[in-house]
Amino acid sequence: MNQAMRTEPRSASPDVLSELPGELMMWVLIASEILVFGAALMAFLAVRASDPAGFAANQALLDQTAAAVNTLVLVTSGFCAAAAVRAREAGARAVARRWLFVAAALGVAFLVIKGFEYANKASLGIGVDTSPFFMFYYLVTGFHAAHVMAGVVLLAIVAWADSVRNMEAAVAFWHLVDLVWVLLFPIIYVLR
Amino acid sequence: MPARDLVHAWLALLLLSYGTVLIASSGTHGSVWMAGGVLGLAGLKARVILARYLGLSASRFWMRVFDLVIGLFLVAAFGLHLFGSGR
Repeated sequence: MNQAMRTEPRSASPDVLSELPGELMMWVLIASEILVFGAALMAFLAVRASDPAGFAANQALLDQTAAAVNTLVLVTSGFCAAAAVRAREAGARAVARRWLFVAAALGVAFLVIKGFEYANKASLGIGVDTSPFFMFYYLVTGFHAAHVMAGVVLLAIVAWADSVRNMEAAVAFWHLVDLVWVLLFPIIYVLR
Repeated sequence: MPARDLVHAWLALLLLSYGTVLIASSGTHGSVWMAGGVLGLAGLKARVILARYLGLSASRFWMRVFDLVIGLFLVAAFGLHLFGSGR
């Protein structure tokens, strides 16, 4: 063996986990949530294969406009949350709180629009047991709405307990909610 | 992240969302092109959120991992959609 190779110190293997921005546990949560929602959406598409005409007829009853508006609301809310972290990192705590307030308010707006959507379905007599399509619709969008509620509460908490670390973690959760919605929206509301 | 990058990411997400609305309202429901288009745009939106808002652009390794996971999910969704449509 070459002498130089024997005496050369071994370089430590790069720690890829340290490359992840923010808290490791937040990334574990993000990965697990992507897998959970991904599995639910795969199940939705697999069940659709048994009754594509029924799924298309049920999907035509959904309010695509409200869902598209909600996409804009959530995407803009994500921008406000990211701006809050940027302001907090710059030491502008009051500005960061204002951005968080706007982000949380947009989260509430998302829930209000979603509430109108559910109320409209209820007025048509459509419930969880109406059809397999609506079972998945309520399950997936309801679970996502629960995440939005949790995110709004988290944003309110970190507006008060406003360390950079706390704010980064809560805002990462909020971006996860945004990420899940942009994957959920086309599959539930648009694909026919 | 610089404020300009945040605004660019937000504008990119708005444009991609508008693209989804355009495809959805184009009257091409049920076409392979429409399915591929909206799922492709969803993948691009997910990438912007992961890279810009969640900061994964700082790590080439993790960006590739998440690109792979989201890409596989979207390809599987596209395949299941085509299968369910009888193609």
